[in-house]
Amino acid sequence: MSEKIVFEKAKERIEHIEDVLSSVAAGDLDVRIEAEIEDDLTGVEEAINILIEDLTYELKQSKKMREELEEKLSKIEDQQKTIIRQQDDLLELSSPVSKVWDNILILPVIGTLDSQRAQIMMENLLQKIVDTGCTMSILDITGVPTVDTQVANHLLKTVTSARLLGADCIISGISPAIAQTIVHLGIDLSVIKTKATLQDAMIYAMRKNNQLTHGKIKSDHLSETEETE
Amino acid sequence: MNEISFDNNWEQLGKYPIVTEHDIVKIRQLVRHHAKEARMGIVEQTRITTAVSELFRNMFNYAEGGDVLIERGNIDGKNALIVTCIDQGPGIEDLELAMSDGYTSGMGMGYGLPGTKRLVDRFEIQSEKDKGTIVRVMKWR
Ligand SMILES: Nc1ncnc2c1ncn2[C@@H]1O[C@H](COP(=O)(O)OP(=O)(O)O)[C@@H](O)[C@H]1O
Ligand SMILES: [Mg+2]
Repeated sequence: MSEKIVFEKAKERIEHIEDVLSSVAAGDLDVRIEAEIEDDLTGVEEAINILIEDLTYELKQSKKMREELEEKLSKIEDQQKTIIRQQDDLLELSSPVSKVWDNILILPVIGTLDSQRAQIMMENLLQKIVDTGCTMSILDITGVPTVDTQVANHLLKTVTSARLLGADCIISGISPAIAQTIVHLGIDLSVIKTKATLQDAMIYAMRKNNQLTHGKIKSDHLSETEETE
Repeated sequence: MNEISFDNNWEQLGKYPIVTEHDIVKIRQLVRHHAKEARMGIVEQTRITTAVSELFRNMFNYAEGGDVLIERGNIDGKNALIVTCIDQGPGIEDLELAMSDGYTSGMGMGYGLPGTKRLVDRFEIQSEKDKGTIVRVMKWR
Protein backbone atom coordinates (compact mmCIF):
# COMPACT_ATOMS: atom_id res chain seq x y z
CA MET A 1 0.00 0.00 0.00
CA SER A 2 2.65 2.45 1.09
CA GLU A 3 4.77 1.53 -1.93
CA LYS A 4 1.91 2.60 -4.20
CA ILE A 5 1.68 5.98 -2.46
CA VAL A 6 5.40 6.53 -2.99
CA PHE A 7 4.95 5.56 -6.60
CA GLU A 8 2.01 7.98 -6.97
CA LYS A 9 4.09 10.67 -5.27
CA ALA A 10 7.03 9.95 -7.57
CA LYS A 11 4.81 10.18 -10.61
CA GLU A 12 3.54 13.54 -9.40
CA ARG A 13 7.08 14.75 -8.81
CA ILE A 14 8.25 13.62 -12.23
CA GLU A 15 5.31 15.45 -13.78
CA HIS A 16 6.35 18.53 -11.79
CA ILE A 17 9.89 18.12 -13.10
CA GLU A 18 8.52 17.89 -16.64
CA ASP A 19 6.45 21.04 -16.08
CA VAL A 20 9.45 22.95 -14.81
CA LEU A 21 11.64 21.78 -17.67
CA SER A 22 9.08 22.79 -20.27
CA SER A 23 8.72 26.19 -18.56
CA VAL A 24 12.48 26.61 -18.75
CA ALA A 25 12.43 25.53 -22.37
CA ALA A 26 9.78 28.20 -22.97
CA GLY A 27 12.10 30.79 -21.48
CA ASP A 28 10.86 31.09 -17.94
CA LEU A 29 13.92 30.90 -15.72
CA ASP A 30 12.19 31.87 -12.50
CA VAL A 31 10.73 28.43 -11.89
CA ARG A 32 12.40 25.98 -9.54
CA ILE A 33 11.58 22.46 -8.45
CA GLU A 34 10.32 22.35 -4.91
CA ALA A 35 11.72 19.28 -3.27
CA GLU A 36 9.70 18.18 -0.23
CA ILE A 37 10.91 14.71 0.34
CA GLU A 38 14.45 13.59 0.57
CA ASP A 39 15.11 10.43 -1.46
CA ASP A 40 16.78 9.25 -4.66
CA LEU A 41 14.77 11.67 -6.80
CA THR A 42 15.87 14.68 -4.76
CA GLY A 43 19.35 14.49 -6.30
CA VAL A 44 17.85 14.77 -9.75
CA GLU A 45 15.61 17.63 -8.66
CA GLU A 46 18.51 19.54 -7.16
CA ALA A 47 20.69 18.91 -10.17
CA ILE A 48 17.99 20.37 -12.39
CA ASN A 49 17.68 23.43 -10.13
CA ILE A 50 21.43 23.96 -10.28
CA LEU A 51 21.26 23.64 -14.05
CA ILE A 52 18.57 26.31 -14.19
CA GLU A 53 20.70 28.54 -11.95
CA ASP A 54 23.69 28.06 -14.24
CA LEU A 55 21.60 28.74 -17.28
CA THR A 56 20.20 31.92 -15.72
CA TYR A 57 23.73 33.08 -14.91
CA GLU A 58 25.03 32.32 -18.42
CA LEU A 59 22.10 34.10 -19.98
CA LYS A 60 22.63 37.13 -17.75
CA GLN A 61 26.31 37.17 -18.71
CA SER A 62 25.67 36.95 -22.43
CA LYS A 63 22.95 39.60 -22.17
CA LYS A 64 25.43 41.85 -20.37
CA MET A 65 28.02 41.15 -23.06
CA ARG A 66 25.54 41.90 -25.79
CA GLU A 67 24.60 45.17 -24.14
CA GLU A 68 28.24 46.10 -23.81
CA LEU A 69 28.86 45.22 -27.47
CA GLU A 70 25.83 47.19 -28.57
CA GLU A 71 27.04 50.14 -26.54
CA LYS A 72 30.48 49.90 -28.15
CA LEU A 73 28.92 49.53 -31.58
CA SER A 74 26.76 52.60 -31.15
CA LYS A 75 29.82 54.50 -29.95
CA ILE A 76 31.71 53.40 -33.09
CA GLU A 77 28.75 54.37 -35.21
CA ASP A 78 28.72 57.78 -33.58
CA GLN A 79 32.43 58.15 -34.23
CA GLN A 80 31.93 57.07 -37.82
CA LYS A 81 29.17 59.65 -38.24
CA THR A 82 31.50 62.30 -36.84
CA ILE A 83 34.26 61.27 -39.24
CA ILE A 84 31.90 61.36 -42.22
CA ARG A 85 30.64 64.75 -41.10
CA GLN A 86 34.21 65.98 -40.74
CA GLN A 87 34.99 64.67 -44.21
CA ASP A 88 32.01 66.55 -45.59
CA ASP A 89 33.15 69.65 -43.72
CA LEU A 90 36.57 69.14 -45.21
CA LEU A 91 35.04 68.95 -48.66
CA GLU A 92 33.44 72.32 -48.06
CA LEU A 93 36.44 73.77 -46.31
CA SER A 94 38.93 72.68 -48.89
CA SER A 95 37.24 74.63 -51.62
CA PRO A 96 36.70 78.02 -50.00
CA VAL A 97 36.00 80.76 -52.46
CA SER A 98 37.03 84.19 -51.27
CA LYS A 99 36.73 87.60 -52.75
CA VAL A 100 40.13 89.21 -52.51
CA TRP A 101 39.61 92.32 -54.52
CA ASP A 102 36.67 94.25 -55.83
CA ASN A 103 36.23 92.02 -58.79
CA ILE A 104 38.45 89.00 -58.13
CA LEU A 105 37.58 85.63 -56.66
CA ILE A 106 40.19 83.15 -55.52
CA LEU A 107 39.63 79.44 -55.15
CA PRO A 108 42.62 77.52 -53.83
CA VAL A 109 42.23 73.78 -54.25
CA ILE A 110 44.17 71.55 -51.88
CA GLY A 111 44.46 67.78 -52.01
CA THR A 112 43.08 65.28 -54.46
CA LEU A 113 40.48 66.44 -56.90
CA ASP A 114 38.15 63.48 -57.23
CA SER A 115 34.82 63.79 -59.05
CA GLN A 116 32.88 64.64 -55.93
CA ARG A 117 35.21 67.42 -54.87
CA ALA A 118 35.54 68.74 -58.39
CA GLN A 119 31.77 69.00 -58.57
CA ILE A 120 31.56 70.86 -55.25
CA MET A 121 34.44 73.10 -56.25
CA MET A 122 32.78 74.01 -59.53
CA GLU A 123 29.40 74.67 -57.90
CA ASN A 124 30.98 76.84 -55.20
CA LEU A 125 32.86 78.92 -57.68
CA LEU A 126 29.95 79.41 -60.07
CA GLN A 127 27.59 80.29 -57.23
CA LYS A 128 30.06 82.82 -55.89
CA ILE A 129 30.45 84.35 -59.34
CA VAL A 130 26.68 84.79 -59.50
CA ASP A 131 26.45 86.11 -55.92
CA THR A 132 29.25 88.64 -56.16
CA GLY A 133 29.10 89.57 -59.81
CA CYS A 134 32.88 89.24 -59.99
CA THR A 135 34.21 88.88 -63.52
CA MET A 136 37.64 87.53 -62.62
CA SER A 137 38.41 84.30 -60.85
CA ILE A 138 41.59 82.42 -60.04
CA LEU A 139 41.64 78.70 -59.51
CA ASP A 140 44.88 77.80 -57.78
CA ILE A 141 45.94 74.17 -57.97
CA THR A 142 49.32 74.42 -56.23
CA GLY A 143 47.98 71.98 -53.64
CA VAL A 144 46.80 69.36 -56.12
CA PRO A 145 49.43 66.61 -56.40
CA THR A 146 48.08 64.76 -59.44
CA VAL A 147 46.43 66.14 -62.55
CA ASP A 148 45.18 63.30 -64.73
CA THR A 149 42.81 63.58 -67.69
CA GLN A 150 39.76 63.51 -65.44
CA VAL A 151 41.02 66.40 -63.31
CA ALA A 152 42.04 68.31 -66.45
CA ASN A 153 38.55 67.73 -67.80
CA HIS A 154 37.03 69.14 -64.61
CA LEU A 155 39.27 72.19 -64.86
CA LEU A 156 38.29 72.77 -68.47
CA LYS A 157 34.60 72.44 -67.62
CA THR A 158 34.91 74.83 -64.70
CA VAL A 159 36.64 77.45 -66.81
CA THR A 160 34.09 77.08 -69.61
CA SER A 161 31.15 77.33 -67.20
CA ALA A 162 32.64 80.41 -65.53
CA ARG A 163 33.05 81.98 -68.94
CA LEU A 164 29.39 81.30 -69.70
CA LEU A 165 28.55 83.30 -66.59
CA GLY A 166 30.69 86.15 -67.85
CA ALA A 167 33.72 85.55 -65.68
CA ASP A 168 37.29 84.87 -66.74
CA CYS A 169 38.95 82.00 -64.92
CA ILE A 170 42.71 81.79 -64.58
CA ILE A 171 44.37 78.57 -63.46
CA SER A 172 47.49 79.03 -61.39
CA GLY A 173 49.94 76.78 -59.60
CA ILE A 174 50.65 74.22 -62.29
CA SER A 175 54.10 72.90 -61.37
CA PRO A 176 56.68 72.23 -64.10
CA ALA A 177 56.35 68.48 -63.54
CA ILE A 178 52.58 68.62 -63.88
CA ALA A 179 52.84 70.89 -66.94
CA GLN A 180 55.08 68.33 -68.66
CA THR A 181 52.78 65.49 -67.69
CA ILE A 182 49.73 67.29 -69.10
CA VAL A 183 51.58 67.81 -72.38
CA HIS A 184 52.48 64.11 -72.56
CA LEU A 185 48.92 63.11 -71.85
CA GLY A 186 48.07 65.09 -74.94
CA ILE A 187 45.59 67.46 -73.36
CA ASP A 188 45.37 70.93 -74.83
CA LEU A 189 44.99 73.47 -72.06
CA SER A 190 45.88 76.39 -74.30
CA VAL A 191 42.27 77.54 -74.27
CA ILE A 192 42.75 78.29 -70.58
CA LYS A 193 44.68 81.27 -69.24
CA THR A 194 47.31 79.79 -66.95
CA LYS A 195 49.86 81.39 -64.65
CA ALA A 196 52.76 79.68 -62.90
CA THR A 197 52.00 80.97 -59.42
CA LEU A 198 49.06 82.40 -57.54
CA GLN A 199 50.99 85.64 -57.24
CA ASP A 200 51.42 85.91 -61.00
CA ALA A 201 47.73 85.24 -61.43
CA MET A 202 46.87 87.93 -58.87
CA ILE A 203 49.04 90.52 -60.54
CA TYR A 204 47.56 89.65 -63.91
CA ALA A 205 44.01 89.79 -62.58
CA MET A 206 44.52 93.06 -60.72
CA ARG A 207 46.08 94.71 -63.70
CA LYS A 208 43.28 93.56 -65.92
CA ASN A 209 40.84 94.68 -63.27
CA ASN A 210 42.36 98.17 -63.15
CA GLN A 211 42.18 98.46 -66.86
CA LEU A 212 38.57 97.36 -66.79
CA THR A 213 37.52 99.79 -64.06
CA HIS A 214 39.39 102.71 -65.54
CA GLY A 215 38.05 101.93 -68.95
CA LYS A 216 41.44 102.43 -70.56
CA ILE A 217 41.14 99.41 -72.75
CA LYS A 218 38.07 97.60 -73.87
CA SER A 219 38.02 94.12 -72.39
CA ASP A 220 37.98 92.33 -75.74
CA HIS A 221 41.26 93.99 -76.68
CA LEU A 222 42.74 93.06 -73.38
CA SER A 223 43.82 89.52 -74.06
CA GLU A 224 45.79 90.59 -77.10
CA THR A 225 47.50 93.33 -75.11
CA GLU A 226 48.45 90.83 -72.42
CA GLU A 227 49.73 88.27 -74.85
CA THR A 228 52.25 90.68 -76.39
CA GLU A 229 53.83 91.48 -73.02
CA MET B 1 51.64 45.02 -78.06
CA ASN B 2 49.14 42.32 -77.23
CA GLU B 3 51.41 40.41 -74.90
CA ILE B 4 52.23 40.82 -71.25
CA SER B 5 55.75 39.83 -70.32
CA PHE B 6 56.51 38.01 -67.09
CA ASP B 7 59.65 37.65 -65.08
CA ASN B 8 60.05 35.49 -62.01
CA ASN B 9 62.87 37.63 -60.68
CA TRP B 10 60.70 40.64 -60.05
CA GLU B 11 60.08 41.46 -56.43
CA GLN B 12 56.44 41.87 -55.54
CA LEU B 13 55.82 45.02 -53.48
CA GLY B 14 52.11 44.49 -53.07
CA LYS B 15 48.76 43.61 -54.58
CA TYR B 16 45.74 45.82 -53.96
CA PRO B 17 42.12 45.93 -55.05
CA ILE B 18 40.61 49.03 -56.65
CA VAL B 19 36.98 49.21 -55.67
CA THR B 20 36.23 52.77 -54.68
CA GLU B 21 37.42 56.16 -55.86
CA HIS B 22 39.28 56.42 -52.58
CA ASP B 23 41.29 53.30 -53.52
CA ILE B 24 42.44 55.11 -56.66
CA VAL B 25 43.87 57.93 -54.56
CA LYS B 26 45.34 55.58 -51.95
CA ILE B 27 47.12 53.22 -54.33
CA ARG B 28 48.22 56.09 -56.54
CA GLN B 29 49.94 57.62 -53.51
CA LEU B 30 51.55 54.27 -52.81
CA VAL B 31 52.94 54.14 -56.37
CA ARG B 32 54.35 57.64 -55.89
CA HIS B 33 55.96 56.43 -52.67
CA HIS B 34 57.61 53.49 -54.44
CA ALA B 35 58.80 55.79 -57.23
CA LYS B 36 60.35 58.02 -54.60
CA GLU B 37 61.95 54.98 -52.96
CA ALA B 38 63.38 54.06 -56.34
CA ARG B 39 64.97 57.52 -56.26
CA MET B 40 63.07 58.81 -59.25
CA GLY B 41 62.93 62.58 -59.66
CA ILE B 42 59.81 64.67 -59.25
CA VAL B 43 59.04 64.60 -62.98
CA GLU B 44 59.41 60.80 -63.13
CA GLN B 45 57.28 60.42 -59.99
CA THR B 46 54.57 62.64 -61.43
CA ARG B 47 54.59 60.74 -64.71
CA ILE B 48 54.19 57.25 -63.27
CA THR B 49 51.65 58.45 -60.70
CA THR B 50 49.53 60.13 -63.38
CA ALA B 51 49.86 57.11 -65.67
CA VAL B 52 48.59 54.66 -63.04
CA SER B 53 45.86 57.10 -62.08
CA GLU B 54 44.54 56.80 -65.64
CA LEU B 55 44.65 53.01 -65.52
CA PHE B 56 42.99 52.82 -62.09
CA ARG B 57 40.24 55.15 -63.24
CA ASN B 58 39.63 53.03 -66.33
CA MET B 59 39.25 49.93 -64.17
CA PHE B 60 36.93 51.86 -61.86
CA ASN B 61 34.89 53.39 -64.70
CA TYR B 62 34.66 50.54 -67.18
CA ALA B 63 35.38 47.27 -65.36
CA GLU B 64 33.79 47.74 -61.94
CA GLY B 65 37.27 47.78 -60.43
CA GLY B 66 40.17 45.37 -60.47
CA ASP B 67 43.51 44.52 -58.93
CA VAL B 68 46.83 46.33 -58.94
CA LEU B 69 50.14 44.54 -58.68
CA ILE B 70 53.19 46.60 -57.84
CA GLU B 71 56.60 45.10 -58.53
CA ARG B 72 60.22 46.09 -58.65
CA GLY B 73 62.60 44.52 -61.10
CA ASN B 74 65.57 44.79 -63.36
CA ILE B 75 64.75 45.63 -66.97
CA ASP B 76 67.68 45.78 -69.39
CA GLY B 77 70.00 46.60 -66.52
CA LYS B 78 67.78 49.35 -65.19
CA ASN B 79 65.89 49.49 -61.90
CA ALA B 80 62.24 49.58 -62.83
CA LEU B 81 58.94 50.02 -61.11
CA ILE B 82 56.32 47.76 -62.69
CA VAL B 83 52.61 48.32 -62.18
CA THR B 84 50.07 45.85 -63.53
CA CYS B 85 46.34 46.48 -63.62
CA ILE B 86 44.16 43.42 -63.95
CA ASP B 87 40.40 43.50 -64.33
CA GLN B 88 37.63 41.08 -65.20
CA GLY B 89 35.59 43.71 -66.98
CA PRO B 90 34.04 43.73 -70.44
CA GLY B 91 37.41 43.94 -72.20
CA ILE B 92 38.30 46.21 -75.09
CA GLU B 93 37.13 45.04 -78.51
CA ASP B 94 39.15 47.39 -80.65
CA LEU B 95 42.49 48.02 -78.96
CA GLU B 96 43.77 50.22 -81.75
CA LEU B 97 40.75 52.47 -81.44
CA ALA B 98 41.01 52.60 -77.64
CA MET B 99 44.67 53.51 -77.93
CA SER B 100 44.00 56.43 -80.27
CA ASP B 101 44.00 60.02 -79.04
CA GLY B 102 40.59 61.38 -78.23
CA TYR B 103 38.61 58.15 -78.41
CA THR B 104 36.23 57.61 -75.55
CA SER B 105 33.25 55.30 -75.30
CA GLY B 106 31.97 57.30 -72.37
CA MET B 107 32.28 60.82 -71.07
CA GLY B 108 36.05 60.94 -70.79
CA MET B 109 38.57 62.90 -72.79
CA GLY B 110 39.91 59.83 -74.54
CA TYR B 111 43.53 60.52 -73.67
CA GLY B 112 43.92 58.07 -70.80
CA LEU B 113 45.41 55.06 -72.61
CA PRO B 114 47.45 56.85 -75.32
CA GLY B 115 48.59 59.43 -72.75
CA THR B 116 49.66 56.71 -70.34
CA LYS B 117 51.70 55.07 -73.06
CA ARG B 118 53.56 58.33 -73.63
CA LEU B 119 54.19 58.80 -69.91
CA VAL B 120 55.93 55.48 -69.25
CA ASP B 121 59.01 53.66 -70.55
CA ARG B 122 57.20 50.46 -71.43
CA PHE B 123 53.51 49.87 -72.00
CA GLU B 124 51.83 46.51 -72.49
CA ILE B 125 48.16 45.82 -72.94
CA GLN B 126 46.17 42.65 -73.37
CA SER B 127 42.43 42.48 -73.57
CA GLU B 128 39.78 39.97 -74.41
CA LYS B 129 36.11 40.68 -74.88
CA ASP B 130 34.02 39.57 -71.90
CA LYS B 131 37.17 38.30 -70.14
CA GLY B 132 38.93 41.42 -69.00
CA THR B 133 41.92 43.65 -69.49
CA ILE B 134 45.51 43.64 -68.31
CA VAL B 135 47.64 46.74 -68.64
CA ARG B 136 51.26 46.77 -67.49
CA VAL B 137 53.40 49.87 -67.32
CA MET B 138 57.09 50.16 -66.44
CA LYS B 139 59.09 53.17 -65.46
CA TRP B 140 62.80 53.30 -64.81
CA ARG B 141 65.21 55.96 -63.82
N1 LIG C 1 39.91 48.51 -68.25
C1 LIG C 1 39.07 48.74 -69.29
N2 LIG C 1 38.03 47.90 -69.52
C2 LIG C 1 37.18 48.12 -70.55
N3 LIG C 1 37.28 49.16 -71.40
C3 LIG C 1 38.28 50.03 -71.23
C4 LIG C 1 39.23 49.88 -70.16
N4 LIG C 1 40.12 50.88 -70.24
C5 LIG C 1 39.76 51.63 -71.30
N5 LIG C 1 38.65 51.12 -71.89
C6 LIG C 1 38.00 51.65 -73.12
O1 LIG C 1 38.94 52.42 -73.83
C7 LIG C 1 38.45 53.74 -74.04
C8 LIG C 1 39.58 54.73 -74.02
O2 LIG C 1 40.14 54.83 -72.72
P1 LIG C 1 40.92 56.13 -72.31
O3 LIG C 1 41.98 56.37 -73.32
O4 LIG C 1 41.37 56.00 -70.89
O5 LIG C 1 39.85 57.29 -72.46
P2 LIG C 1 38.60 57.65 -71.54
O6 LIG C 1 38.74 56.94 -70.24
O7 LIG C 1 38.66 59.12 -71.37
O8 LIG C 1 37.39 57.21 -72.29
C9 LIG C 1 37.43 53.96 -72.96
O9 LIG C 1 36.45 54.92 -73.32
C10 LIG C 1 36.83 52.55 -72.80
O10 LIG C 1 35.86 52.32 -73.77
MG1 LIG D 1 40.44 56.79 -69.11
